[in-house]
Amino acid sequence: MAEGAHTETTGVPAEHEAAGFPPFDTTTFPSQLFWLAITFAFLFTVLWKVAGPKINLAITNRRGTINGAIAEAGKARADAEAAQAAYETALAGARSRGNALAEETRQKLNAEIAKAKSDADAQAAQAMSAAEARIGQTRESAKAHVKTAARDAAIAIVERLTGDKVSAEDASAALGKN
Amino acid sequence: MHQFTIKPLVPLHLGGFDVSFTNQSLLMVIVVLAASLFLTLAVKPNRLVPTRGQSMAEMSYEFVANMIHSSTGEDGLKFFPFVFTLFIFVLLANFFGMVPGSFTITSQIAVTFALASLVILAVIVTGFMKHGIGFLKLFVPHAPLPLLFLLVPIEVISFLTRPISLSVRLFANMLAGHTMLAVFGGFVVALGAAGGVLSVMAVAPMMLIVAIMLLELLVAFLQAYVFAILTCIYLNEALHLHDHH
Repeated sequence: MAEGAHTETTGVPAEHEAAGFPPFDTTTFPSQLFWLAITFAFLFTVLWKVAGPKINLAITNRRGTINGAIAEAGKARADAEAAQAAYETALAGARSRGNALAEETRQKLNAEIAKAKSDADAQAAQAMSAAEARIGQTRESAKAHVKTAARDAAIAIVERLTGDKVSAEDASAALGKN
Repeated sequence: MHQFTIKPLVPLHLGGFDVSFTNQSLLMVIVVLAASLFLTLAVKPNRLVPTRGQSMAEMSYEFVANMIHSSTGEDGLKFFPFVFTLFIFVLLANFFGMVPGSFTITSQIAVTFALASLVILAVIVTGFMKHGIGFLKLFVPHAPLPLLFLLVPIEVISFLTRPISLSVRLFANMLAGHTMLAVFGGFVVALGAAGGVLSVMAVAPMMLIVAIMLLELLVAFLQAYVFAILTCIYLNEALHLHDHH
């Protein structure tokens, strides 16, 4: 217990302090209030002028950095989306150009094929008609050969049977009657 | 009750008053220096990722800022340094008092009443500066005239008892907690000295002390919070009278 020491410094009678409960000991009040005022004022000044603004600045700085980073990220995202859109447009353009090209090529090839086919058909038809003409010609000459052979055979038969010499014209005429 | 006794360390007299530097003054100086140094040195404004210390400093700052903002609105933020100082001072005073062998500043009614008076003084000054004589409307609630004869005295009494309730709440909580710890500590010593089976039973109050210690840590924070939030609520009334924003 510090009553004794306290009494020496304050000069307040010991019984006054011993009677009371320490928080209600009014002799200590001036000292309590005096030091409370000094320390509280000191803390208030430090927090008001130094610590508060410093912490506030730290928080504001961080918030600014984070918001800046978020804005930057948003911008990068918008850029990426624009790039993707451009890519898709280019892709769609290229695809349609490719399709058009393929279609064009197909039509050209089809035309070429059709032309080649009709050329070939014409050629074949020509060759066929030439062949038919040749066949007809051969048939005619073969017919002629048969007539000549029949006349010669008729002249030879008549000569052998009758001994008469029949002229070629007569024989042909006689054969022609039948 | 010796843990509440104020012992002078350096005798000092000023204008007839005994303003000796006491164990309580020493704790005040420690609390204030610890708070000032921590809140100033732990923070570097350009640190993007805060350290543990900076996080704590920023958390306490934002805690108080949000408290003021939510209870008084935007215009209450000019009281930030005052409420922040009150909160930090009471919080650290309570916490440092938990260190065995130290002294609890807030277990002294003189200190808590001085702080509460400061709050009420701030409320009165703010009220009259903002509303002039209209600040007295604070005592006139929206009610039918006959009821006002009853309500106005009640409002006046409730206003006048605020510094008392504000200071006694903090003082009594600290006092009761520390007294309870001392009482159970006395049980431990008494049972331990009794010998035999009783010595073994000393473990029970010891465990209780641990539990109460944890509870007191909560109370230490809670009372600092209550003190700060009530300050905000009173300031809000001074700023906005009865019109709830």
